Amino acid sequence: MTSFKTFLLAAPFAFVAFAPTISLAQDFPADLVEKGRYLATASDCVACHTAKGGKPMAGGLAIDSPVGTIMSTNITPSKETGIGNYTEAQFSDAVRKGVRADGANLYPAMPYTAYSFMSDADVHAMYAYFMKGVAPVEAKNAETSLPFPMNIRASMIGWNLLFRNNTPLSDDPKQSAEWNRGRYLAEGAAHCATCHTPRGAFMQEKASLNLSGAQVGPWYAPDITSDKVTGIGSWSQDELVTYLKTGRLAGKAQAAGSMGEAITHSFQHLTDADLKAIATYVESVPSAHPAAAATGATRFDQGKPVNELAALRGKGFDNGMKGAHSGAQIFSANCASCHGFNGQGTADGYYPSIFHNSATAGSNASNLIATILYGVERETESGHVFMPPFGDQPNALTQLDNVEVASLANYILKDYGNSKLTVTAHDVGVIREGGPKSDIVTLARIGMGAGALVVLALIAMAVILPRRGRAGADKANA
Amino acid sequence: MTRQSRDPFGQLMLSRRSMLLGSATLIAAAHPALSFAAVDSAAETRFMRLSTLLINHQLNPDIGARIAETATSQYKNFSPMLDAIIAIAEKKQAKTVEDFFTDIPDGELKDFAHWVIFAWYSGCSSEKRDAKVFTYEEALTFKTTSDVVTIPSFGFSGPNLWTRPNLPLSAPMPTF
Amino acid sequence: MVTKTSADVIVVGTGVVGVVIAEQLIDAGHSVLMIEAGPRVTRAEVVENWRNAPLGVKGDTSVAYPPRPWAPHPTGADKPEDAYLQFTGPDPYDQTFIRYAGGSTWHWAGTSWRLTPEDMRLHSLYGVGRDWAFDYDTLEPYYVRTEHKLGISGPSDRALQWPQTGARSAPYLMPSFPFSPGEQKFTEVVKTLGYTNIPVAQARNSGMPYDGRPACCANNNCVPVCPVAAKYDAETSLGRLERKGVTLLVDSVVYKVETNAQNKIEAVHFYDQHKESHRITGKLFVLACNGLENPKLLLMSANDRNPNGVANSSDQVGRNMMDHPARTLTVTTKEPFWSGLGPVVNSGIMETSQGAFRSEHAGAYFRYNNFARNRFVTFAALKKGLVGKALDEEIRRMTACTADIVAAHEVLPDPNNRLTLSAKKDWLGLPKPSIHYDVGEYVRKSAETYSLPIGKQIAAAMGAIDVKITPKFSNSKHIMGGTIMGKDASNSVVDVDCRAHDHENLFIPGGGAMASTACGNSTITMTALAIKAADAIVAQMRGA
Repeated sequence: MTSFKTFLLAAPFAFVAFAPTISLAQDFPADLVEKGRYLATASDCVACHTAKGGKPMAGGLAIDSPVGTIMSTNITPSKETGIGNYTEAQFSDAVRKGVRADGANLYPAMPYTAYSFMSDADVHAMYAYFMKGVAPVEAKNAETSLPFPMNIRASMIGWNLLFRNNTPLSDDPKQSAEWNRGRYLAEGAAHCATCHTPRGAFMQEKASLNLSGAQVGPWYAPDITSDKVTGIGSWSQDELVTYLKTGRLAGKAQAAGSMGEAITHSFQHLTDADLKAIATYVESVPSAHPAAAATGATRFDQGKPVNELAALRGKGFDNGMKGAHSGAQIFSANCASCHGFNGQGTADGYYPSIFHNSATAGSNASNLIATILYGVERETESGHVFMPPFGDQPNALTQLDNVEVASLANYILKDYGNSKLTVTAHDVGVIREGGPKSDIVTLARIGMGAGALVVLALIAMAVILPRRGRAGADKANA
Repeated sequence: MTRQSRDPFGQLMLSRRSMLLGSATLIAAAHPALSFAAVDSAAETRFMRLSTLLINHQLNPDIGARIAETATSQYKNFSPMLDAIIAIAEKKQAKTVEDFFTDIPDGELKDFAHWVIFAWYSGCSSEKRDAKVFTYEEALTFKTTSDVVTIPSFGFSGPNLWTRPNLPLSAPMPTF
Repeated sequence: MVTKTSADVIVVGTGVVGVVIAEQLIDAGHSVLMIEAGPRVTRAEVVENWRNAPLGVKGDTSVAYPPRPWAPHPTGADKPEDAYLQFTGPDPYDQTFIRYAGGSTWHWAGTSWRLTPEDMRLHSLYGVGRDWAFDYDTLEPYYVRTEHKLGISGPSDRALQWPQTGARSAPYLMPSFPFSPGEQKFTEVVKTLGYTNIPVAQARNSGMPYDGRPACCANNNCVPVCPVAAKYDAETSLGRLERKGVTLLVDSVVYKVETNAQNKIEAVHFYDQHKESHRITGKLFVLACNGLENPKLLLMSANDRNPNGVANSSDQVGRNMMDHPARTLTVTTKEPFWSGLGPVVNSGIMETSQGAFRSEHAGAYFRYNNFARNRFVTFAALKKGLVGKALDEEIRRMTACTADIVAAHEVLPDPNNRLTLSAKKDWLGLPKPSIHYDVGEYVRKSAETYSLPIGKQIAAAMGAIDVKITPKFSNSKHIMGGTIMGKDASNSVVDVDCRAHDHENLFIPGGGAMASTACGNSTITMTALAIKAADAIVAQMRGA
């Protein structure tokens, strides 16, 4: 979710001048500030608004997008460089309507469409937290300059008219209090749909396909509906809570990419009651598929422990790399030390098995390729999980090229994962470049002649599609 | 074979291994490139039959094919020796190696039987530098201690989670 | 300006000493060119080389690192007369090192004992050996920087840290590792004898990632290669150095250091793998080829102005060759110990390396090797002719109930322990190193009267039913002394910053400079000296 980086583009330089100079010397009670902190955690503001190694909420995270590098902004209460001059109404408009204090529109990479479901009381608490609970940091926002026509913020006005929700969520009296709390958090602060819901023609979230899976840059946010086959309907509530608390469910799935960040910064810090509520709601979200389709193996129970080492042992590494078993050779040499020579992981499950693993058996190979290229990183109370990347990051100890990653991925898919899939070097290149994307700038420029609506759609695509977020950001920061 | 993180260690290893070995034949069939042309499949099958008589454990036929390949070139009486030892075992209706091993006459036949056992346990054709290597990670020596000793170069547990009690020799050996 | 033929600083060798210096210099804004005799390979290849090696030779690290013809290094396969290292003395100087990009930290255990203050004042305190040119407190900050550079874990409990007599100005970065069942039991056994088996400080990520490298996953394969790079090795730095702008030449064997009219270093010359010669110029030169290749290169570089070899007006180049002579006790016990979980070297008794007895004989460090024992016992078990359940049980018993206890000794610098150039030539036609080595009475007396008696006492306390002691001293692969440091240019090769006394723009940092060996492994001291040298180089370049 957090790779949906904010497009609060280069705003403060402009709006400091326009900002009203009223006093904000309000006093907020400590419990209100604390409530706001909790909601800001649930909203995972810190993930996007903090640079790697930087001060919390001070912005400066570089986000690669197909249309250029975007810098997240300083949302600390600094009056000079942050949002210290925002009134509560201005704060609320930014969070829930995507409108900056100076009236300019935010791009919906800032998930205001989700935050729009949050109540006035909760936004009030968040405001209290951002004004009193966050340390002001004097850090000028790094300027972001996107090429024409991506710099036309006004086009978002039309998009908002069409797709923005304008009212907080009200409880469904037919459902339990727990379900309602879960829906409020999942659809609002935790903004699950931002990543997990597919987009329509104008890159709006398609409500009918809520949480049924979508590409997020190099990663694929999988189907988390109640579908027993394609979704997580086979998980118990406890299992989903365990996953959100720890980022993993042994023998089934691990959080990586943006979800790893969401676990690290957000979910693990929520109360058990709220995690249970989220689980209750998420597991009620209907499948996007006809009921009849719900048969077959899930992405959690495919593959088996095998190896091809009898074709390799004693015959030399170079031979192995040249032959039909190059994928097995790459797996053995680079992966098997932790994941086992049969892909079985360690006996304690700390290093996950490669079979019975959603990362290798998804409906597409994005997460498998992205895991290889970008690794896995998340920190929870139980420790700092780190699988090194095998891409072209500065800190990648071993760098595999596209052909090697494809060979490796195909070996894994064949025996351990979704055996219906195969991967080409080109597919790997797409993920290496940050995920599927279109030549958005060119198209948009052509689109200027074809009518505003096309432009609108393309701009929206530019905003939604990038999601290279973390991967690209690592490149820029490491 | 859904993984439960609290599975007792031994049981987990067993279930994985059972799955592996149970499906080994299917795997070999599924990997055409894993068949070894130097030995005909009938001889491979007989070699696996001999191996399972000499070793009371489940064995990976892909590795058996590699051992058989070397045995063919190393022992000119490979095929008759296979038949002879299998015949001795069948005469005894042997279920385990202990049932018939002493019946193998000393000399060529017994030496060959020991070599076959050596190959499966060490993964190699000899102790020497020029030995042929059939397997490393599935050499049976490691299976005898897989509950408490790492197969070097393969991780044993999560970071700093390998503390184990000092098992007495009376503790059961892993099943393999 | 860096080119393939010139740079501000030329670093010969890409091991840990070379890379820490190269990184500090490139970070300080100097152009750096590194020259490596051997190849650059992937970790993947090394790991698979090792797995593909026969069980009987897995203890020979060269099976994972086959030498290239132009960059020979010792292997277990060579007959003595054909071997790269030629020996003439009573004891072989039978080292293992790797001429590959990344150097010999590829296969070190990661053991990171500091010297003690006493280790650096042997002559003053005990009337033997040499004193260092500076004291422990001078070295201490460089140890701290080494610990950060390499990512060293160790105990936070002061009572379990080494040294006890020298201060630590910063805590270890990561906690010490848990013990295997065998290490735990060994610790309890030696405690009954009054010895404290302490956790080894080690350059390995303990329980967490560090510096882009993952946490240790207990694959028990630190030697000969960490498959996941949880252990620091210099190869892990090479990609980062290149991205910072360091130029790296591999398969390039430096064979001559050229001096100019001012007797400064003007250039180095190397052969490529086609035996063609090339010349590289620079402002300042760092020889970081290890304590054996450095003196060889200096001796090979003799010229009219420096007839005994470059940097050798003292005639000390190649002398004082040192190591940690070791005796191993293979103990068979009645009850199991079980080694083979966690790092291969994870604990040790260090207190036995210190004491007033050092005026008479060497101290010793005892370590319980934590290698998985299967490969040491399988052939022996098979030779017993057992089959079936009896065979399984025998392998399991021998794996559980055997252990190697190693007594590693300090050795004194002796000018007669000397590396010279052999008449025998390598593939490129360069002379092979010839080493005359005698561990000396100081060490032999220790084994006779001190270390082996303690070893036997420990074995007995372990419940030994059999003890086999290696009859001769083996080498620990810790090459020290050949370019020894001192304040007096007449009896030492380098100054306190590892700068050659004879050539102001030549630095020879690393183990060769060490004036005493102590008993602990030498790498972090080598690295600390390298960082000290790097500081001096940065200062010198600023003035240049």
